[in-house]
Amino acid sequence: MNEIPMFAVLFLFPVISSLPVALAWIYRPGEDWARKLPYLSVFGLFVSLLISLNILFNFEEGFYSYPWIEDFNINFVFVVDYLSKYMGALTAFIAFLIGVYGLEYMRDDYRLGWYWFFFNTFTASMLLVVYSDNLFTLLIGWEGLGIASWGLIGHWFRDDDDIAFVGTQGRKVGPLEMSWSPSTGGWRAISTIRFGDMPMFFAIAAIYALTGNLDIHSIPWEGMFEEIGYVGTVALLLLFLMGPFTKSAQLPFSEWLMTAMTGPTTVSALLHSATMVAAGTYLFMRLTWYIEPWELNIPGLETIYLLVLFLGLISALYGASVALGLRERKVLLAASTMSSLGLMFASSAASFWVGEAALIVAFWYLIVHAFAKASLFLVAGHLIHATHDRFCSGNLAFARKMKVAFAVTILATISLAGIPPFTAYWIKSGMDGVMEHLVADGMLLPFYLLVIVSLIYSAFLAKFLSLNFLKGEAPHHEHTEGGQLMKLAYTLMVSMQIVLLAIILLHYEEHASHFVEEGFLTTSLTVGILVTASYLIVLFKPAVPAFSRIGVFLTDRMYLPFLNDYILPQIGWVVIRVVDACNRGVDFFFHTAIPSAFEALSRAIRSIQKGYLRVYMKIVAGSIMLFLVIFSLMGW
Amino acid sequence: MTEILLMASVVLLTLGAAFSLKDARIGFVASVISAVLAVTSLEPEMYFFGALILVIGLLNIITLYLSDNQIKGIDYAIVAMLIFATVLVIQSTNLAVLIGTFVLVSVPTYVLVMLSENDVKLEVGIKYITFMVFATVIFIIGTFLLVYSHSNMNPTLYVIGYVLLILGLGLEVGIAPLHEWVPDVFSAADPIPVSIIASIAKFVPFIVAFKLIIATANPVTSSITMFVAFLAVLSMFAGNIGALTSREPGRVLGYSTVANMGYALSAFVAVVNFDLIYLAIAGVLMQLFANSAGKIGFFTAIKDRGVGTPFTYTFALSFIGMPPLMGFWSKLFIVLALVYSGYMWLAVLLVINSAISVPYYIRLAKELGEGWGYGVVNLVALIAAIFILMTVYPPDWFLQSVKGIVGTFVVAGV
Amino acid sequence: MILVYFLLVPILASLLAPFLNPKRATHLVSISFLIPFMAALVSLFQFSSYDFPIMNFSPPIGEFYILVDPVSNAFGLTVCIISAMVGYYSFPYMIHRFEEMGLGEEEYRKYIIIYGVYAASMLWLVYSGNLILLYIFLEISLITSFLLIYMYGYGNRRWVALLYFVWTNVAGVLTLVGFLLTAMDNSTLAIKGISAVGMTAWLLIFVGMLVKLPGLGPHIWLPWAHAEAPTPVSALLSPLTVGLAGYVLLRMYLIDSSFIDTYRDIIMVYAIVSSIYAGFAVFRQTDYKRLLAYSTVSQMGYILIGLCLGTFGLIGVVIQYMSHAFGKSILFMTAGGIIASYHGLRDVRKMGGLHEYIPSISNAALIGFMNLGGILAIGMFGEFFILRGVVDIYGSNLMSYLPLILALVFIFVLSGWYSFYTLRKIFYGTPRGMEKPRISRYLDLPLYIIGILSIIFIFPPLITVLLKGIKAVIGGGI
Repeated sequence: MNEIPMFAVLFLFPVISSLPVALAWIYRPGEDWARKLPYLSVFGLFVSLLISLNILFNFEEGFYSYPWIEDFNINFVFVVDYLSKYMGALTAFIAFLIGVYGLEYMRDDYRLGWYWFFFNTFTASMLLVVYSDNLFTLLIGWEGLGIASWGLIGHWFRDDDDIAFVGTQGRKVGPLEMSWSPSTGGWRAISTIRFGDMPMFFAIAAIYALTGNLDIHSIPWEGMFEEIGYVGTVALLLLFLMGPFTKSAQLPFSEWLMTAMTGPTTVSALLHSATMVAAGTYLFMRLTWYIEPWELNIPGLETIYLLVLFLGLISALYGASVALGLRERKVLLAASTMSSLGLMFASSAASFWVGEAALIVAFWYLIVHAFAKASLFLVAGHLIHATHDRFCSGNLAFARKMKVAFAVTILATISLAGIPPFTAYWIKSGMDGVMEHLVADGMLLPFYLLVIVSLIYSAFLAKFLSLNFLKGEAPHHEHTEGGQLMKLAYTLMVSMQIVLLAIILLHYEEHASHFVEEGFLTTSLTVGILVTASYLIVLFKPAVPAFSRIGVFLTDRMYLPFLNDYILPQIGWVVIRVVDACNRGVDFFFHTAIPSAFEALSRAIRSIQKGYLRVYMKIVAGSIMLFLVIFSLMGW
Repeated sequence: MTEILLMASVVLLTLGAAFSLKDARIGFVASVISAVLAVTSLEPEMYFFGALILVIGLLNIITLYLSDNQIKGIDYAIVAMLIFATVLVIQSTNLAVLIGTFVLVSVPTYVLVMLSENDVKLEVGIKYITFMVFATVIFIIGTFLLVYSHSNMNPTLYVIGYVLLILGLGLEVGIAPLHEWVPDVFSAADPIPVSIIASIAKFVPFIVAFKLIIATANPVTSSITMFVAFLAVLSMFAGNIGALTSREPGRVLGYSTVANMGYALSAFVAVVNFDLIYLAIAGVLMQLFANSAGKIGFFTAIKDRGVGTPFTYTFALSFIGMPPLMGFWSKLFIVLALVYSGYMWLAVLLVINSAISVPYYIRLAKELGEGWGYGVVNLVALIAAIFILMTVYPPDWFLQSVKGIVGTFVVAGV
Repeated sequence: MILVYFLLVPILASLLAPFLNPKRATHLVSISFLIPFMAALVSLFQFSSYDFPIMNFSPPIGEFYILVDPVSNAFGLTVCIISAMVGYYSFPYMIHRFEEMGLGEEEYRKYIIIYGVYAASMLWLVYSGNLILLYIFLEISLITSFLLIYMYGYGNRRWVALLYFVWTNVAGVLTLVGFLLTAMDNSTLAIKGISAVGMTAWLLIFVGMLVKLPGLGPHIWLPWAHAEAPTPVSALLSPLTVGLAGYVLLRMYLIDSSFIDTYRDIIMVYAIVSSIYAGFAVFRQTDYKRLLAYSTVSQMGYILIGLCLGTFGLIGVVIQYMSHAFGKSILFMTAGGIIASYHGLRDVRKMGGLHEYIPSISNAALIGFMNLGGILAIGMFGEFFILRGVVDIYGSNLMSYLPLILALVFIFVLSGWYSFYTLRKIFYGTPRGMEKPRISRYLDLPLYIIGILSIIFIFPPLITVLLKGIKAVIGGGI
């Protein structure tokens, strides 16, 4: 039972260590001593990192549980397995590095308490999601992710600084202004996520009702699926996957991720590229890992996995295309993140046909992507600091002043694009192999989609590099001094690519060696060469004026914002107006019409009281006679 | 022993009235003693009733003491006489005595209603007396028809007698549609005499009528009960709705009386089921007690502004029927009796009426209440409020006591 | 047994309080509620379940007794902690209100006694072992809250108070008639003695409590009353009082579930429509307190829904009551905080960016809305059990009930939406150049205490004993 306290510290310490700064900021915001408290928060992250490394190296694989609500068979159950131990260490490591970066990046911020509290809460929640085997425990982490994401996106709640916006202020398309403030970004994020979380919540409750069990590893999946039949399986999993889909910003729920870039760059780096958005795919992987759909023969599962496969690929294509058109540094990276998440979904879904290997590929892609994208975001943050501009700008002269950033960007982009022989190339080769396997099963489309996505992906990475360091406009504003902590953080982050490369090439990890074999296959090499070509072309020609029309279409994200900001709200407001009208009607009926009726009746009753005895006696005598007559007639 | 005490009581109050011409205080003391004597004449199981009546009666006497009128001194004796009659009616099963008490509570109030501090209110008096005389006549005719038909087994006569009895009662206490005098008299006459008419004078007619109806109950009764239910509903609605837009407090209380009499009358339907008749009797009696205490409190407040807000709210809430005040328990017993008799709809209408009454009682409480209430008049209000609050301890004792005296709700020889 | 005696403490304290100065009176009353709170908590941990006789009433009313079981403890401790915290909160708020109304501090004596009796009556209600006793406390809580609105409310306060009185009185008396019908069938109203509740009786009780809860239609009284009440009263009315209607229905259900079983589908649809309707109505409100009131209507729909969903639904009802109570009391107190800081500011359109000036209140509001949405607070369990219940009851015929299930899920989505929509409108966005007020600690600390409680309630041992106890009362297999 030594492990349970360890887990408790892992989850609780980051939160507790951020409480001082949170409280200080509620009651004494901005004082000098309060600005030192973030070091404590980062220390909390450091402790988590140590524990997660301990778990990685020293814990036995297996399940660790602690009673919670035993009468209902709901317990804290933590899992240490292939997925969780790496994912946990990755999360803690990236969180810590970005924490360090944040110490400098956020130094002069006006709301440090909020920032650090949610940053650390996020880390704890993410770790909880990663290590949870029990779905309810996982749900707590999941909700934590949502709320932390909301809090951090809307961190600059004042909406007063253009640097924190997404889109161009004042630019209108139809009725919609293509510009989003941080508080809008937060609202869009939480509303989308809520829309997915609740169906997932229901699905979990349904699983609980059907099996009386909430531990992923011991739920009798096969029996359950058979019990509820095809329709039940599809409905249940579809509802369940609403959570991962919204969290990982798959179509059509991608918009929130784009406007999530209104948050500080550290947040974008940690939440909206490396970890949180990956939680959706991670959860899908974890489920698949234990459902083992390739072992089962459930028709409902096939439908769902097919759906996920194509949804992932289409989202990947959409994300990559949009990224190609975008010029905002962070939003470009966000779109690319969405694209990568699509690939992860697609690859994990392919496991239905390919088996566990596809899952491993997806997972490794997640790892590589996390480090690379986090590095790019951190660089983007530094660039925004340095140029005071959200849009890509920078030329060689600028690159000379930002040598470290430049180098890191190069390394990160080539590692991520899939250019041989850099890290992602080997993983992508694995992915090519997976999709080829599907071709053998008669599905051609996934493979071609993957290749197209890879090409576009590589293109916009090159565009990012080129427009920021080589061929972009000269920045209007340069502030290139300092930033030592930031440089340190992203250098360390990108250096992980080398470590990963070493692990792959030197066969430190059994599954990784498989990638190397795949990397030397013809298909993979061909794709690799194409990707390299695409990278180089765009590097030298980052913008093509002839395509500006398409560019605008892509920059406006294919007008998907209309769904979130116009169509759905309009429907909502119609309902709201109807409801409001009903309320007025009911209010009038009960509080005006009925009282008036009573008043009128009351006046009528009082109108008898004329004060004349003559009248009264007539009434009395009349009534008495009337009653007597009635009863005489009635009775006999 | 009973007779002796009663005689002593009558003698004492007569002497008191006579000597009060010399000094009004003699009348006061004599009346109080007379009332106490009358109450002590009761059998032990009726003491609870006597004690409660004594409180109401003494409150009436005190309010008279605090104001002035033309027959200062004799007025106390009138109240003592009402107490005497009420005490008599509860223990008597003799038809003649019952009718006698009915007349006895009616006639003295003819004088009472005209009194005030300055001028004699003749017009009010005429209106009131006309109704009362009419009421007495119809009531007595009804009584005799009932008793006669009962012994002769004549259903037609029974029904006519029953209807006349109820109508007579209605005229006497103010039940719609025969309530016309109530709002006028209550608003025009002096508040203190009205408070007496609205409180202690209400017991005798109800008890007499109830005793007669129980005594003469036969299979035909259940077919005619609907008539009572109808009058009760009419009265509740007329009273409560009429009060909603009335402005003068006296008039509002007049309508409130109409409504309250409707509540009490509705309990008469319980005659169809003798098993739980004690619930109905307890309901009627407690309803009358609650009504009396509340009315005395409110009329005192009208007479002499300065009754504290807490008191006026207590009265109002009791009238509305809020637990744990007395008004709640009385309605509870009545509603229980109704439910048991199968008159669900009447029960529902009754409780809905208590909701309709909320606005005007609250308005009354607000308009009549002033400050915390420290003056002398607040003594009356305080006693009335304590009386109403007595049921904070759930009044099972009341129910038990009434069970003990159900046996007296008969008429000898019928 | 000690709990029963501790229940007397708040009443005694309230009667004593007027003799002290406002500050001391506040402490006295609030602490007097913390004592039964601790006792209820201990009782919850011991899984106590017993009757404590008070008196015997003749039939058909039957025995009066105090009913202690985990369900009443769960409701009881909620009532206690919120009454205590709102008690503290009242102190600066009402003093401010009296100033505004031109009354002196003397008025606080009147206020504190009515407040104490109001809160205590709700506490006693949940421990009442006889339906008449329960009705008595229901009405006492009505009178006292009515008086508080009548005397210290906002706007057209007398009219609103009367409206409140009439509506809830109708609710009460309909229920009463239902109780009496039950009495006729069982010759007793002692909860332990009742074996069956007839359909007519159930209908009357149900309709009565529906008015109080309130459901769609009768809901129209609630926004008036809850918006115009002085804020501490709103902070008891909305979280505690209306939900007690749910408690009554729960008790009736535990005695005899025939009515709900028969009309389950109709009630379920009605409850869902009611909840969604009110949820949408929230968006349109411009008055912060009115907005919260509509959210209450929506949340009370959950209780009705839970009632239709078997064992797990009932567990959901209890948890939902607690979670809503925690959340809504915090939120009403934040509304009050804004009113006190900005001279009666309630119009949401004039707010925006308030986080800049009143961060402590803004953060508390976040916790409050998290409770409503069931995010990282005890409400999570409420939603979870309700969802599980719906599968138990309707899962067997999934396709035909899918719209119903999706509608239910949508309610939870909607509650999250309006929560964060409101938060954004009020607290975030560009600040409007207001002054930064000084916030009394009484105006924010109580909010955090409730908030912390609502969060630690999802962890063992609290949730463990709570659910175990409720399960023991409600029964049903897992």
